[in-house]
Amino acid sequence: MATLPGWVMLVVKFGGSLLAIFAIAWLVKRMGLGKGYERIRDEAHAIALAEEAEFGFGGVAADVDAAGYGAIVRNATGVMLLVRAHGNRFAARRIDAGFTARLDRNRLWLQSGERAFGSVELDFGGRASVIASRLRTVI
Amino acid sequence: MIPDLPKPVDIAVPLFVAAILAEMWIVQRRNRAAYEPRDTLTSLILGFGNTVAGAMTAGAAGAVAMWTYEYRLVTIGWTWWAWITAFVAYDLSYYWAHRAGHRIRWFWASHVIHHSSQHYNLSTALRQTWTGFIGLSFIFSMPLFFLGFHPAMIAFCAGLNLIYQFWIHTEAIDRMPRWFEWMFNTPSHHRVHHATNPRYLDANYAGVFMLWDRMFGSFTPEDDVDPIRYGLVRQLGSFNILWAATHEWVGIARDLRRAPWQAKLGYIVMPPGWSHDGSRDTSDSIKARWRDREQPRGESRSPMPEAAE
Ligand SMILES: [Zn+2]
Ligand SMILES: [Zn+2]
Repeated sequence: MATLPGWVMLVVKFGGSLLAIFAIAWLVKRMGLGKGYERIRDEAHAIALAEEAEFGFGGVAADVDAAGYGAIVRNATGVMLLVRAHGNRFAARRIDAGFTARLDRNRLWLQSGERAFGSVELDFGGRASVIASRLRTVI
Repeated sequence: MIPDLPKPVDIAVPLFVAAILAEMWIVQRRNRAAYEPRDTLTSLILGFGNTVAGAMTAGAAGAVAMWTYEYRLVTIGWTWWAWITAFVAYDLSYYWAHRAGHRIRWFWASHVIHHSSQHYNLSTALRQTWTGFIGLSFIFSMPLFFLGFHPAMIAFCAGLNLIYQFWIHTEAIDRMPRWFEWMFNTPSHHRVHHATNPRYLDANYAGVFMLWDRMFGSFTPEDDVDPIRYGLVRQLGSFNILWAATHEWVGIARDLRRAPWQAKLGYIVMPPGWSHDGSRDTSDSIKARWRDREQPRGESRSPMPEAAE
């Protein structure tokens, strides 16, 4: 049986895979998958998320942003944990000297020292300046 | 005479696609948040990258295998019982490769990609290593070649093994029949393996046969009172493809640069998260904290994963 040259087979195989990949990804969006999840509801939710992100963190207080996209959770020793949405899940980092912060009225912009983790902009309303000054003790 | 064997995974790709579509259809009705478009795209591209990286290193891996086979103790050949033994033996070697993949940082750097998603669906199964060759995972199958199994036979069994592990990456199946759960790796057992809850860390390394975890004390059952959260104990918080594939290697490089001389080796051979000053969490330290918290309450409903240590 005559077979196609190796490189043609390779192009068909890899090209076909790439096509399937983008078709599936498009369909996932088209079907509305990824929806039907919740943002951070309140302080208690933020504290629970912090505990899930870091077992034994022991959050005692939290500030949740207006959209429920992110929160800053504090524990009894004053350590602060940034919890933010990642897709329809959550990811967290301890706020440390590697972070950069900027305050613009009610909005606090925070960038982690990790490029891949990136930055967030959180709306803390009237509490923003109080939170910012609290951050200054570690950043 | 070496038979001309097909590559099982190549043949299975259309099946993978069909199964993912079926799961998407189910998820759309039951729980849309089980998928996340960016996460799915990342998973699929990581799977594609794995096939490319595999094709690039196949020659070198094959050469190492054939070289080992040259020094074989006996020649096992191609009989039906050789195939069955090879399948089981490969699965045992997979168990240890996988266990080392979680307990030794060098191996983990290559395997972590598979655990980098916070989702658990069929697309997650396709997150496979890009760096398996430098991750040295092939050394765990070398004893099989040395015993006398032909590398082509083991490669075929490895393909079947990988295909088996595809379907268990789903929340759409709750539990299989009891006998099946006892004998084989299942969606329930492997959900535990992908969990970040302290209770479930470092458990269920099996490929196909769950027996290995039961034999070597790493089995932890899924407990419905502790719903599973997936991913890494320190989530990436990123959909970046290259970062998912390489972040732990970058971490090793950083630690090697900073660590004092006497500690450098530790950052390669000790468990992930190990640090010479004890400043970071490992799965062991997290589990220890969890036990301290659970024990005073008199654990009745959730017994310790016995003999986990
Ligand atoms: Zn694993
Ligand atoms: Zn898996």
